[in-house]
Amino acid sequence: MKHPPPPRLLPMLGLLLAGFAHADSPDRPTGGSIAYVLTNMSWAMQSTPGAAECPKGLNEGTREQFKQLFPDNGTKRSFESTQLRREIDGFHPTIAAEPFVYREGEGPVAPGLDLDGIAGPEDFRSPDGHGGIDNQMHRVLGCTANYRGPDGPIRFFEDEMVLRENYNRVVVQLGGVDSLKDDDAVEVRIFRGRDKVLVDAGGLKAVPGGTQRVDLRRGANYIREMHGRISGGVLRTEPVDLLYPWDVFYFPSDQYMYKARLELTLAPTAATGLIGGYVDIETWYLHMIRNWSTHYQSYGNSSAPSIYKAMRRLADAEPDSQTGRNRAISGALATVFTQVNIIEPDPAEYAEALTRRRIAAPYRGMPAERDPAEEQFELPASTPAVAAANGGSR
Amino acid sequence: MRALRRLVLVAIAGAALAQGSVGLAAERTEAWIPEPMPPGFRVEPSPMDGPVFANAAGRTLYRWPFRVMRNGVTGDARGESACTGVKYTESAGLMSPYPGGLVLPELDTRPACTDVWPPELAPAGAEPIGNWSVITRKDGRQQWAYDGAALYTSVLDRRPGDVLGGDKPEQGFDSPAVREPIAPEPDLPPGFMVNTTLRGRILLTERGFTVYTSDADRRGRSRCIGACAQEWQPLAAPASGRARGDWHIVDRTDGERQWVFRGRPLYRHLADTHVRSLEGTDVPGWNAVYVREVPQPREFTVQQTPAGVVLADAQGKTIYTYTCGDDAPDQLGCDHPSQTQAYRMGLCGGGSAERCLKNFPYVLAAGSSRSGGPLWSVVSIDPRSGHFAGPDAPGVLRVWAFRDRPVYTFAGDPGPGDTNAESLGEFQSERTGYKAFWLHTDVARVEF
Repeated sequence: MKHPPPPRLLPMLGLLLAGFAHADSPDRPTGGSIAYVLTNMSWAMQSTPGAAECPKGLNEGTREQFKQLFPDNGTKRSFESTQLRREIDGFHPTIAAEPFVYREGEGPVAPGLDLDGIAGPEDFRSPDGHGGIDNQMHRVLGCTANYRGPDGPIRFFEDEMVLRENYNRVVVQLGGVDSLKDDDAVEVRIFRGRDKVLVDAGGLKAVPGGTQRVDLRRGANYIREMHGRISGGVLRTEPVDLLYPWDVFYFPSDQYMYKARLELTLAPTAATGLIGGYVDIETWYLHMIRNWSTHYQSYGNSSAPSIYKAMRRLADAEPDSQTGRNRAISGALATVFTQVNIIEPDPAEYAEALTRRRIAAPYRGMPAERDPAEEQFELPASTPAVAAANGGSR
Repeated sequence: MRALRRLVLVAIAGAALAQGSVGLAAERTEAWIPEPMPPGFRVEPSPMDGPVFANAAGRTLYRWPFRVMRNGVTGDARGESACTGVKYTESAGLMSPYPGGLVLPELDTRPACTDVWPPELAPAGAEPIGNWSVITRKDGRQQWAYDGAALYTSVLDRRPGDVLGGDKPEQGFDSPAVREPIAPEPDLPPGFMVNTTLRGRILLTERGFTVYTSDADRRGRSRCIGACAQEWQPLAAPASGRARGDWHIVDRTDGERQWVFRGRPLYRHLADTHVRSLEGTDVPGWNAVYVREVPQPREFTVQQTPAGVVLADAQGKTIYTYTCGDDAPDQLGCDHPSQTQAYRMGLCGGGSAERCLKNFPYVLAAGSSRSGGPLWSVVSIDPRSGHFAGPDAPGVLRVWAFRDRPVYTFAGDPGPGDTNAESLGEFQSERTGYKAFWLHTDVARVEF
């Protein structure tokens, strides 16, 4: 039995029927609709060339941690007590203390959004001077080479896959737009497209004017609808819980952000800016541990178990009803969208897809959790890292 | 010679399929091009990998391809065998970033390479024939080789046509150096090829695009003309093309000659975005062509996911296979219940069998289910050890197994269509880990 369309669907159906036509002026899209396809995405953090935000230096990764735990001193060790155990620490992370220093990204500057309207002691100031920026993800990842800009290895590949892989085809469509400069009420729809992005002759740069079909076959879960307003050429939306695809190297994977909102500077050919919200930690970590094996973590000195502990330690939202511990952490995605024309679906098919939409619950981690006591390590007393660990930053 | 290359139909192996255990229609056959073989050697039909070469006892023959790993190389160089009676005790460090020299798990029961991959020895006086040659092992014994690759059988295979030791779906860059069954060339018209998938042997164009048929076509005639043919390109037969076996040619109304397979005209879906894409099957009435299809247990279901279609249990939960190869120089498997379970227990339960059972429960077989041919079977497992057990052993579980290896669901999947454990494991599960049982995926690399 089909469910009746939700009330908010009606204006969206109108948007669908309106279609997109070429703009009759740069600020006023014809038909009141314009769409953009996501072509670049990475975690927003401060990454200055001199790493001023990392006064204690950059983090060491899993390869270095392994050497600290198991120095090459002629001791014969078992596979299970070393390599397999460290893999277990990655796949069954805990909040147990570890004998490594974790270097957090520090302030006072970090990009992001003010998610709670409060200027708290943990908040940053944005590069353009706004206060109250909530971006604990900057603390988690800001001093880990894999994620730092402009070309940390994981940052680079995750960004590249946004353009390359159809699974990741996120589209933002605006409806009811009177002006790309100022409009106090626009309808915003996020969905997954089905098609490759139009690129230039070099193949690496998206260009406007391409087309996208709406993925109603298997993309219903990604459809979100929200209100927004445009002021001074910047779109700001109301918050929604957002499920979004982020496949890396063809291993399908999703992420989940609570109270996500868009802040995009609009132009006829592109939209750039941030998607900010509270990142579901277990979902984020599942994406990371599935897509980035220990080998890839070693490319840019990241350590999955250490990142998990930092995320849990710095989490600032969505407290668990049982434990009271926060399950989400503030963060933002730096994004570039490129204008695209939408091949509108049949309204009835769109409405039917919404009846199949499942607002996916975030991943909750391995149901049978590991006892943190199983993850206790002691570094050999002779290892210099012991002293560093004892004087760790947190 | 012409007669020698004629179409050869493969007999259906294991014709009797157990009640209530298989779902699809009768298995079809697959043709191959005959070639000279050593005395007694033969070709056996395998259920997923197509026709394979077998020795006189019907045991499938495998090779161990030479392979560049992250750190170093392994496998057999041409004309040599690196699979010996040496029982390795330490890891080789072939996979980044860990060092070698770590003492391997369960050494007391760890076999040598030749214990699990017996060399296919050649008798005294054996003569090379065709692609087959004889090489000399380091211990002086003679071993058959095919195209220069030393040949072995697998101790896991029990019946003719079994390919339980290794299979042919494409391996990822970071997979173990696995053994592969050797096979004769498929007998296909020029312009086509066949590939192994979890759903069966799929027919592709020579460039790798999926071949389709339409339900609207009748009696070998195409009804796809005009706009339809703009979207679904009829696969044209050359002037030299001739009908034989399952293959025929039909004259289209536009004057083109179109290939027909088993009575169905063939097409390519021009909107498929990449090679081996199955996007065309999302269009009602259009089907990919399987030369031979793998039957699935009737009690299973099929579920849609954001990335494609998966096989699922009766409750709709995605089914996962587990694959594993160790990091010793001989790259032995660790995903079969007769092999060490240390790696799997580490991944699924952090070393705890109890947590493994909660996180990745076995797919239990219904009371009436029995083995369903050589690919899907019901096996008895001791859940504490993960090894095979007698059917009446205390606490034993009757579980579904694919290729003799148990399959699992993931407790972290809330419901149908979730695939949270897809590629969960070392090197995106290429080395050791879980893979969703994809029947159809939109993502290029997952299925193959």
